[in-house]
Amino acid sequence: MSKGFRQSQAFLHTWSGLLLGWILFLVFVAGTIAFWREGLNRWMRPEIARVEQPMRVLAGAQAYLARKAPDAKSWIIPVATKRSPGAQLFWVPQPKPGEERGRGRSRGRRDTQALIGADGQVAQARETRGGEFFYRFHFDLHYMPVIWARWLVGFATMVMLVAIISGIVTHKKIFKDFFTLRRARGQRSWLDGHNATAVLALPFHLMITYTGLVTLMTLLMPWAVVANYTDQKTVFAALFPTAAAIERTGRPAPLIDLRRIATDAQRRLGAPASFIEVSDPGDAAARVSVSQSANSMLSSRTPQLTYDGVTGRLVWRSPPPGAAAETAGAMVGLHAGRFAGNGGRWLYFLCGIAGTLMIASGLVLWTVKRRERLPDPTRPHVGFRVVERLNVAVVGGFPLGIACFFCANRLLPVTLHARADWEVHMLFIAWALAAAIAFVARPARVWPSLFAATGVLLVALPVYDVVATDRGLFAMLAIGDLMIAGIDATMALFGIAFLLLARRVARHRPAARRVRSARTAPAAMLEPAE
Amino acid sequence: MTAGDGHARARWARRGDIALRVVAAVPLGYATASLWAMAIARLLPGDRAEASVTASLVALALCAIAAIWAFAARSGWRAIWTLAVAAGLAAAIAWISIDATGRV
Repeated sequence: MSKGFRQSQAFLHTWSGLLLGWILFLVFVAGTIAFWREGLNRWMRPEIARVEQPMRVLAGAQAYLARKAPDAKSWIIPVATKRSPGAQLFWVPQPKPGEERGRGRSRGRRDTQALIGADGQVAQARETRGGEFFYRFHFDLHYMPVIWARWLVGFATMVMLVAIISGIVTHKKIFKDFFTLRRARGQRSWLDGHNATAVLALPFHLMITYTGLVTLMTLLMPWAVVANYTDQKTVFAALFPTAAAIERTGRPAPLIDLRRIATDAQRRLGAPASFIEVSDPGDAAARVSVSQSANSMLSSRTPQLTYDGVTGRLVWRSPPPGAAAETAGAMVGLHAGRFAGNGGRWLYFLCGIAGTLMIASGLVLWTVKRRERLPDPTRPHVGFRVVERLNVAVVGGFPLGIACFFCANRLLPVTLHARADWEVHMLFIAWALAAAIAFVARPARVWPSLFAATGVLLVALPVYDVVATDRGLFAMLAIGDLMIAGIDATMALFGIAFLLLARRVARHRPAARRVRSARTAPAAMLEPAE
Repeated sequence: MTAGDGHARARWARRGDIALRVVAAVPLGYATASLWAMAIARLLPGDRAEASVTASLVALALCAIAAIWAFAARSGWRAIWTLAVAAGLAAAIAWISIDATGRV
């Protein structure tokens, strides 16, 4: 490998990593947490009992919708599992004449959705976005149009792919250096940490970055479709086939018991079902489509069965996808990790943490490396200061915001108007405050303060659950609800880790000056340079 | 001309070179990858939807390779013209193919 090539890649790695590193940090943190989204959906609704009989929930959902929306265009009912808080169903009302038929538009509306709990009744739970927040934030960010956010995240992901490839070239000795971790050696230690977290999970980083791009492929790279099709709808119909639509007859006919269809579909598929969509319920033309659960297979393009909604006869079965569609589906499945059981989720989670630490250490390394070369370390130039403080604001502030989000979930009044939104607002208010502090106070003081605050809140949450609720760690262990117990325990562990980190950072004295003027007291750092 | 002038000029030349490489890597790199996505989607035999998906998957990798090349090339100008030639070639393939057999 020529020296010039490596230098060019070092430049590319440094600057692409720095400029997009802050967004990538947010995306990695949210994505890593989102591997536990189902668990958090339950953890953040402590009022709800665990689902023991999914079919009871389904029967309750059908009864609720028959009362509430008998004339809907369609009902969408997720099949509850032991992992889910229940069935978060929604329905699409009949379009008024002249109104565009939009399926996705009703999804977010509060008046056309409900959560059916374990007992088949509408669950009386606090309003929260639960773990879904992290899943959406991972690619939609927040407070901005989702298309902009996805382009931004997509661009950052492409830069990440470039940074990984150029990083392998730059840190050419990473594979050899992987077994070296020089502690308390300033820049060298940061570099070792950066390399260790990068190499440890390198296959994961490459996989998750590339497959992440594939999840956004129709948005980011539509041109291969444009080259072959005059209308995008044609290619979607070819890639995601559905049963032929039939006209509503206007003749009423009772809808079949959805439990019968779900049972039949699960027998035919040989796997659990995830979604049931009923079109024209109560009409003679009713159709019921059942999708196989993504938890049961690698590819995200899950098979689908469609039944006659009155007789319960199977009328359509999705054809197996082509090789390329299956490959793309497998990549999306690999990214989301829904197929993974608890062991696999832990592996995803730990690799996500490694990626987060790789990005954070890379960002810090930028400043550590340059601080030693500054003409006057007490008065760094503006660019250095901005980077240093943005690092504190993002790497130190965002975890604090997340801790506040969880606290808001426990502490905000249950009757608060737009409560779910306020949980999220609390995250950003806390983060904005942390960022403001990061920009006015000295980084050496702010780093440990933010870590300590995050640590205290994360330790306090499981303690609060033990003291103030009947769903504390020990109670959950006693009834064998390892998901909720695991979340409490993981929060406590992370809290302790943040506290230890805070102590370590608070005691840290930069090594740079010691190297140059040996045996000078660390206090000399604060003296103006000669 | 003083030594300081020469130094400043070298710095500006370096900045100009980096700006060219960024242009080559981001807008031009994306355009090149997109045009190759179109060309590959046209050239692959068989089912059109399958060809389009394969070409899209490949194009994502091409986008990263174009960015790496933009910084590895000997100069910013070289990065620009090589990518422009690659993009032109793909555009010609896609154009001729669409013109000859049309789209679905």
